Order: sequence, then structure tokens, then C-alpha cells
Amino acid sequence: MIQDLQYVGGSYPVHDVAQKVTGELVYGSDFSVPGMLHAKLILSTIPHGIVTRIDAASAEALPGVVKVFSHENAPMDGFSRARIHPGQDMSFYDETLFSKHVRFVGDRVAAVVATSRATAEAAAALVEVEYEELPAVLTVDQALADGAPAIHEGGNLLYEHEIEKGERPDLAGAVLVTTTASTPRVHHAALEPHVCIAQGHSTGGMTVWTTSQGVYAARTVIAELLGLEYHRVRVMKVPMGGSFGGKTEYIIEPVCAFLAHATRRPVKLLLDREECMIATMVRPATTTTIRTACTLDGELLDFEAATTLDSGGFAASTPDYSVHMCKKVTKLYRVPHYQHQGRAVYTNTPVGGAARGWGAPEMTAATEIHMDRVAAALRLDPVEFRLKNMVEPQDTDLVTGLPLGEARVRECLERGAVAFDWVARRARPAGRGRIRRGVGVAAGAHKNGMFGAFPEASRMGLKMNEDGTFELHASLHEVGCGIVTTMKVIVGEVLGLHPDLIAAGEADTATTPFDYGTYGSRVTYVVGECARVVAERVKERLLAAASDLLQEPVERLVVRDGAVRVRADGERSIAYRDIARLTEMRAVPNIAASTTYYAVSNPAAYSVQFAEVEVDTATGLTAVTDFLAVADVGRAINRGMVEAQYQGGVQMGIGYALYEHLDVDGRGRAGIDGFKNYHIANAPEMPPVRVELIEAGEELGPFGAKSVGEIATVPTAGAVVNAVNNALGTELSDLPLTPEKILAALHREEVPCSSC
Amino acid sequence: MQLVLTVNGMTHEVEARPTARLLDVLRDQLGLTGTKEGCAEGECGACTVIVGGKAVNSCVMLAVQARGKEILTVEGLAKEGELDLLQQKFVEYGAVQCGYCTPGMLMSAKALLMGNAVPSEQDIRIALAGNLCRCTGYSAIVAAVKAASGREAAPLMELPGDAEELAAEVTTDPDTLAAACEVVEAETEDAPAGLCEPGALPGLVDPYDQSQSGIPGETEGGE
Repeated sequence: MIQDLQYVGGSYPVHDVAQKVTGELVYGSDFSVPGMLHAKLILSTIPHGIVTRIDAASAEALPGVVKVFSHENAPMDGFSRARIHPGQDMSFYDETLFSKHVRFVGDRVAAVVATSRATAEAAAALVEVEYEELPAVLTVDQALADGAPAIHEGGNLLYEHEIEKGERPDLAGAVLVTTTASTPRVHHAALEPHVCIAQGHSTGGMTVWTTSQGVYAARTVIAELLGLEYHRVRVMKVPMGGSFGGKTEYIIEPVCAFLAHATRRPVKLLLDREECMIATMVRPATTTTIRTACTLDGELLDFEAATTLDSGGFAASTPDYSVHMCKKVTKLYRVPHYQHQGRAVYTNTPVGGAARGWGAPEMTAATEIHMDRVAAALRLDPVEFRLKNMVEPQDTDLVTGLPLGEARVRECLERGAVAFDWVARRARPAGRGRIRRGVGVAAGAHKNGMFGAFPEASRMGLKMNEDGTFELHASLHEVGCGIVTTMKVIVGEVLGLHPDLIAAGEADTATTPFDYGTYGSRVTYVVGECARVVAERVKERLLAAASDLLQEPVERLVVRDGAVRVRADGERSIAYRDIARLTEMRAVPNIAASTTYYAVSNPAAYSVQFAEVEVDTATGLTAVTDFLAVADVGRAINRGMVEAQYQGGVQMGIGYALYEHLDVDGRGRAGIDGFKNYHIANAPEMPPVRVELIEAGEELGPFGAKSVGEIATVPTAGAVVNAVNNALGTELSDLPLTPEKILAALHREEVPCSSC
Repeated sequence: MQLVLTVNGMTHEVEARPTARLLDVLRDQLGLTGTKEGCAEGECGACTVIVGGKAVNSCVMLAVQARGKEILTVEGLAKEGELDLLQQKFVEYGAVQCGYCTPGMLMSAKALLMGNAVPSEQDIRIALAGNLCRCTGYSAIVAAVKAASGREAAPLMELPGDAEELAAEVTTDPDTLAAACEVVEAETEDAPAGLCEPGALPGLVDPYDQSQSGIPGETEGGE
């Protein structure tokens, strides 16, 4: 294992923290370009229909209005918002810039471009849109019913797949348990609304400033749709106020780029909160039925699951999302036979797509609620039952066939059970009064990049500056969790240089090398390893130069604290500044390297989480009163930020379990238009969240590190729901556990008692 | 209408419609974009500023309502480049991730501390109840506010260093440097004289030294 790390494992704030606390950082929503126009979208007010007339005359007559765009004067080629790469499979080109056939309340019908935001908003209110309404299907059951109106050609069953792995053993005498669990459609709730600025140039090229997670993907979608050569489209990542997957797909970027291209002007498209909620993307609602077979002493024999995912009005990434839901359970549990059917279904509701965890929070909630029910059926403690079936380090994932690596989930569970005092707290009675207390546990697994499903690589350049500081050229996409800092710490560790003496910027298709971006928990494990590798290459050159200058063999040299030092010779060292200055004079002075790193593995990252709740049986309100997250992180690159990210992941998961749901009414309207009626956990509602790290090191991760950002939230909802079920003796599995559902469950439970 | 607003100790005259929101005047007319907009309905707190000593949501306050009152925005917290203690603690405690809620959090916390120098944890959480954050789970933010009120735990984060100071700390000892210079001089034809004296390299002239010719950017007197 790696010894004596100087910078890795420290705690560092996000790289732009000083600009953030002073208010000086220019986020996308703060950004402006001279002469910039403003766009306002006009969204469908009906869930399903055909636009029969758009009258923009009075809007366009308003002083300051440049033009109104709709299906009548914009390209109607289909695009896929989820296309990362031009050669990508699983892209569904079912969406256009503006819809003539509208498929949900919030579908884009038109956009007004004007000289000010206020004018654009006023003009948008004057655009008259008439529709021929079509019957709508608002649930997957309605969508799949015989004779249901087809939302897209080809019907409402967007995608269907099945996997089966292993051999089903003899199930005679086995204990069969079946659970159906539902997870809600939720809003990502990044605090900064979606925004894009695009500048159309008179030459026909364009520059785009986006708050997204992948500039190269944005360029693919924009350039292909507008028919521009890629080199004429420059996309830059600008500071963003959170994403959580909601800004991983290209929804407003192609629209804004088109408006800028058509007007040959800079255009800013900034959404309001309601538009973010209904017109961008939601975490898709899912329903999963699980049937397992176990031996009487708790050994899993068979795991069968069937998932239906509500894609909403367009496919976005939901087919792939649905496929990935099949890849979660076998990272966590050993089972001889695993079978999973998945369906993604169009409905006339907001579009589903990428969200933190990419199917894992959904599938894990269902799985872990189910595992508690199986434990109860077998009269086993939930921890004990899980331990009987969990994977071991170096196991192979039955579904993907990939090694799970240093999978320390058992250790997470065992250590967590002790730290949480599980046995004693679980044995404590829930109480008989108004407030009932319970504890719950859930485990989760997630991936480390896209190896196995996608060509997974990262590219970077690193060079020494003339004064001995360094610059990393990489397509980084900071979403707020310290990605830039992570890279600086990794490079600093290799070079023996304080991370603050290394500059690293964010992605720009014109100047930084190709990289997919912040996707699929790949950044630390894949991009970070690329940073380590390129730093090792530069270090070789640095040592070669120093070897010559010091007239010492490379083997006797070490890097530390910004100097190359002669081992076992405290006196002799040469500062990087002097190496830089002196090598400038050489024929080949270049202390620089670039590299492409191809990932060759995709191990699992784990977390086991423990929740304590108090449920008020009079109001149905649940308070989470204590929380422990144990995290198998391989190694923490930035310890403070790992813990902070976990605390945020837990907060998101508590909302998923208890508060958040973006339902639609019988007319397809969300009935939710802002944070006043969409609740995310606030400061008084959050319990203390303890985070314990297990750092066993992952062989191919940078200094042993693996992913954090998504796994942090994967098991949370399951732990909270299991705690509520423990408190109330219920089997609730329809998330979120709103007061109404809790009261209904208590009421049902008490009916037979009062009649007997 | 003509409005006189006092923001961060400075008086501004602005022309604004009577219905103009304070948030828009701050951001669009005064260029103070540190104050953010997250919901436009007073729910998320990203637009929090302090008006007359009280934390308010500037998205639901008219600019005209702030007339004659001291308005404090996030830009007014640091004084002469020195971070306010509260800002410093947000940095030290890792209370900032995406940072979009940070200005509002800082202003709500500042208003709390202005009225209650030693708030309890519950006081802090209630004071921040109207400020939503999706990244942090609030733990680090609450710890930072607590630390700013004097209940200091050990700082969690290693603070960003001053790059120049960090670089200056590392020097090569003169003998080693001289030996290294000799290596370069021996290898390199036309090695400039005095290679080993910092600042004597061609191109590294002091641009403010008027006695030198060939100064980059000089348009007269060159050869």
C-alpha cells in the first residue's frame, strides 16, 4: 500500500472558494456578453396534442422583440439530448428544438428572443398558441393499456430488455418473498437554474458558454443538429451552481445555440424554477417488483426483478438508465441466479433522465426494502441477513462479469453496526405513544466510470511553467464537489509540490483535450488516474533534468516540497524554479507531457448507511434523528470534501425517502411550480450525519481512490424507509413516505384491531 | 423613478420602475451579481441580503422598500481584501461546494450573528431554515457559523496558500545552483554570460527599468 502521502488525504476547500464566499465568481446565470439578447421559452400547457396555430404577430410587434421561433421556422430534425459521442449507441432522436406534436405540459413550443429578459417575458405572454388536444396517458399503466394513444411512432413501450445470469438452483423448500416498491419522479433541485449563453458569429461558427457536465457532448449535440463542423463550435464550461445529473444532458444548449445561430447574435437562455422543474428533466419514477428465494438460514438462491420506468415525453437517457438498474444488485450480493426485466415507457409527463446515481438509488431502495422484509420473514436481524449474502473483495460481478475490486462492503456493514450501536438500538422498543422510534440500515453499490459499457479514457497535458509552477490542461467539469482540487492534489502528490502551485482550469473544446466530462462516477477513478499518469510522465522528465543538473543518477533523486532532492543527502537539492530557469536554456527544455489513459477496470464503490427516525403517529411526520454513513472510498483524496459530499448525498436521500415527489394531476400538470410546494430538506430537518471512511485502497485508482459523489446518496432512502417500517411495524415501500401514506398505513393497521 | 440606495456603505442613485425587485436592481443595475436568484418566490434564500439589520429575500422585496436603509450584500462582507470572519470560517470548514447558496447563507448567518453573538446550534439551524442547499447537508455550514461565533473546533480544511509565498519558500543552495549552472554552460553553446544570476537572463529584464532598451511594448527609441 502507498505510504507517506503528503497531500493526498488532506482536506482542501473547492478551488474557487475565495471567489464563492466573496460573491465574485461569475456563474452562468451571472454571465453576459455585450449586445446579448435574452430568450424566453413558451411551453405546452396541455399534456398531449398538436399545435395548430402559433400567432406571434403581437409579440413580434413589441419594441425590443427580435423574433419568435417555433416549429414553423426552426429545424425539425430529431436530436438526442443524451448523446455524448457521435458514435454512441442507445441514442433516441425523438426530440426536436420545438414541438409541433406536444407530449407533456412543459414541452417546448416556441421561444421569444428580445433585447431584455423583461421584454422577452412580456412578449412570450402575447404569443397565442392553439392546440388540437389528443388523449393523454399520464401513468405507465395507462400508456401500456390496450388501445392507448401512441405518444411516439412505434408505441409507448420505448425500450425493453432482459438479462439473466447464472443458474437457478433447486428452489424446493426455499422461502419466497415478493416486494413491489415505487420511487418518485423528483427534481434535481440544483440551486442555480439551467442557463446557457451562445454567441452566433457572422462567420457561421459559434461560441457557447454552458453550465453542463460535458462540453464535448454539448458540442456533439449542437454541431450535429445545426450541421456545423465541430471545429467551428467552441463550447466552454462556466461555473455552475450544482447539477446532480440534471445538467448532464443537452436540453437548453441546442435551443440556445440555434437561437444564436439564427440571429447571429449572443443569446442567453436562463430558465426559471418552474421551467427547471417541468421542462428540463426529472429523476424518472420507477416501480420494481422483486422476488427472491432464500434458504431457511438466509442464503440467497435466486433474485428476480422487473422494473418499469416512466420515461416521460421523450426518451432522453432513460433506456440506458433502465439497463443500468439491472447492474446494481449483483455488485452487492452473491446470488447464484439473477434475472431482471426492464421496461422504459413513454408517458405524457415531464422527461426523465440522468440523475445522481443513474438508477442505483431507485434499484437500491427497492432491493434494501425487500431485504428487510426477507430478514423479517426468516426472523433474522437485517445486518446478520445481509452479511450472509454480501460480496467479498475480489468477487466478480455476476451481471457485468467485471471484477468488483477491493469491495469492502462487509467491512462497512460490520464497522457501521458497531459505531451505530445497531444491536442495542434495534432491540429497543419503538414505543407505544404518539412518537415511535425506529432504526434502519441499507447498503448500496455503485460504479467507477464507464469501462465495460463505453470506451473509457481521459486525456490530459501537464507542463512546467517557466517559474517552476505547473499547469494541467484537462477538460474538467467542476460541479461543486472539488473536482479541480482533486486533480491538483493528485498531481501535487506525484510531483512533490503544493497543490496551490498547480493551475487547472475547466473544459473548453478549443483548448482542453477530449474528455467525456463529469459522468458515471468516473472523475476520481478515471480522470484522476489520468492526472496521476501524466504527472508521473512529467516527473520522469523533471528527474532527468535534475539528474543532469545535479550530476546524480535518477535513482538517488526524490521530489519533495517543490525541489528535487538527493536521497540521503539533506543538503543538496534543486528547486523547481531553478530547474525551470536552467532548462529553458537547453536544446530540449520541455518538462511537459500529454497522455491518454484508458481505463481497464470498473470496480464497485460501496456505502452502508444507518438511520434513526421518530415518526409522529398523529401527524404522520417523520424526523430523521441520527444518521451514520460508512463509505468504502478506497482512499480519500480530499478527506474533508469526501465527508461533505456524503453529508449532501444523505440529505438528498432523506428527501427522496420522505419529501420529494413531482406528481402530475389528471390534466398532466405538475401542480408543483417552485420550492414553495416542492420541499427539499432544510437545516433544521437535517440530523447530525456522521461519516466513517474505509480506506483499503483500490488497485487501479489514483493512490487507491474510488468514486464518492453518486454512491453517497445510493443507500440513504432505503435506510430511512427501513427505519420507518421498524418504528411502525409497517411494510411501506412506495416512496416518498409522506404523512398521508404513513397515516393511511397506520389507519389500515389499526382497523382490524378496533373491530376485534 | 429615481431611487437612492445605500449598498455596502456606498450611496447609489438608480432609475428604477416602482415595481422593480431589489434583487434586479442589485444585480442588473449595480452589477452586484454575488446575490443569486434560485426561485423568485422567497423560498430558497439564495438572494438573501441584509436590509436595516435584517436578512431579507431580495427577490420578494421591492427596491423602493429598501430606500433609506443600509443594504449589505455579500460583496460588502470582506473589508480591504480581508475576508470577514464568517467568510473565513466558511472556507476553513468546507461549507462551500457549488457555492450558489453561499452568499445567501452568509447573509442569513451574518444577520443572526449581528443580533445574537453566541447562537445555539438550534438558533443557527432555524436562522438558516430559509436558505436551501443541495450540496452540503448543512453540517459544514452550521459548523462554520458556530466557529464564527467563537466556538471553534479545529479547522477542517487546509487553507489555500499564497502561491508566491509557497514558491519562495523553496530555494536551491548557492553551491548546488552554481554547479548546476556550470553543467548547463558546458553543454550549451552561446550560453548567456551570468546565467546563474537570477534576473540576468535575456528576456527577464525589469520592464520598469527605463535604462534598458528593447523593452517589450516600447514604441520609440528602439534599435
